[in-house]
Amino acid sequence: MEKEVILQYLPMYREALLLTLKIGWQGVFLAFIFGLLCALVRHMKIPVLRGVVTGYIELFRNTPLLVQLFFLYFALPKIGIRLSPEFCGSLGLGLLGGAYMAETFRSGLESVAPIQEESALSLGMTPLQAFRHVILPQAFTASVAGIVANVIFLLKETSVFSVISLMDLMFTAKDLIGMYAKTMECLTLLVVFYLIMLLPVSLLGSVLERRLRHAEFGT
Amino acid sequence: MKKTQIIATFVAAAIGTTLIGAGSVFADGTFRTLDEIKESGTINIGVFSDKSPFGYVDENGDYQGYDVYLAERLGEDLGVEINYVSTEAASRIEYLQTGKVDIILANFTVTPERAEEVDFALPYMNVALGVVSPDDAVVESLDDLGEEDQVIVISGTTAETYLVKNYPDIHLQKYDAYAEAKTALENGNAAAWANDNTEVIAFAIENEGFTVGIPSLGSADTIAPAVTKGNESLLDWLNEEIVALGEEQFFHADYEATLLDTYGADYEDTLVVEGGAVAAAETETE
Repeated sequence: MEKEVILQYLPMYREALLLTLKIGWQGVFLAFIFGLLCALVRHMKIPVLRGVVTGYIELFRNTPLLVQLFFLYFALPKIGIRLSPEFCGSLGLGLLGGAYMAETFRSGLESVAPIQEESALSLGMTPLQAFRHVILPQAFTASVAGIVANVIFLLKETSVFSVISLMDLMFTAKDLIGMYAKTMECLTLLVVFYLIMLLPVSLLGSVLERRLRHAEFGT
Repeated sequence: MKKTQIIATFVAAAIGTTLIGAGSVFADGTFRTLDEIKESGTINIGVFSDKSPFGYVDENGDYQGYDVYLAERLGEDLGVEINYVSTEAASRIEYLQTGKVDIILANFTVTPERAEEVDFALPYMNVALGVVSPDDAVVESLDDLGEEDQVIVISGTTAETYLVKNYPDIHLQKYDAYAEAKTALENGNAAAWANDNTEVIAFAIENEGFTVGIPSLGSADTIAPAVTKGNESLLDWLNEEIVALGEEQFFHADYEATLLDTYGADYEDTLVVEGGAVAAAETETE
């Protein structure tokens, strides 16, 4: 391994890390919103919408991100919808993650005993108030482990971004290997940068899980 | 934070770096000699599967093209079966270094950087770079590109290296496969596509609405088969074979069988290198 080579490549990896983080977190944010909306629709048993949500979840959970990105980036322009690679990346991650988050939230919601909701309603809360103040905090606590796992999964999925020409960590490493054939150095940096990106997330996850545990009730 | 978690973090980091350290043990020089290939009865040849008309898979699922035509002949003369391995531009060197293939015949341009990593045999084709762009905004010089304009390149190609070195300000849009780069150009995602001129000329002929505004860019280079660094027995055999094939004008026959439909007769003498001998006028390099 050559030190100069590593030093020379560092700025490129740093740039790739920033791009990966930016698009990754935008995707995670969207996934959170989509997942929450879907879980809400399912929990409230809203007719029609419920069917749409189930369709969406099954579609995105059972197709690879690669296929979804191909569709967003290469197929949509054929019908006149042109999206930037960054937007496709965030949206693709968001849609994929939303489907996973919805399932995670659902299992969280199901873990809250029905008597909690009934008690809240009998105290005069509206269904929405009961959901926001009683059910959601407990469901969220129960879902934290799953959410963290989803976030890590989504951040790792960025490694297929090369198909839509995004210079994420994986593509940057492959690209440098293709140009200069310094395989060892490039792959070492790749592993190190993925660890830099993901280790804090899993550490934060375990801290969060413990901190939130006192919101648990009746278990 | 619990102690176990801190320890786990360090273990993860340690395993990561150790694995990589161990990796260097396997990295270099695994190859099969000529005799080992003959003995096994099969040769692994790395070709493109999406670069028509040089290496591609036809509607019957068979490999075809100028490179494949040569590969078929090599297999025949060695008396072995051919196992085609589909490669991407950026992984050609890796495939040789890790011994996944015995020969790369994937339109591999000879460059000094690559020659440090693999051994090139005698050349069988001439090549330069070219740039293709849509008819309504033909790019005739790279200096004409606006600040917003992007140029498509394929990761790991000579076009990429050339532009990175000589036009560092041009914003490159990189793809790893030909199929994706072509679709992106068709969809209008970039101002132009820079690649081997053979490839962009073929693209403009096959796709209406595109013109090769820059037919020749950079130095005149050659394309040659490559083997793993140090695989002398295979390299020597390849060189003898290419010289011998020149006597029967094999590469002209190859051109006529695979490239004539795309390029017509005009490019035959420009593109074909016979018997490994490059014409004097075309050997100028930078």
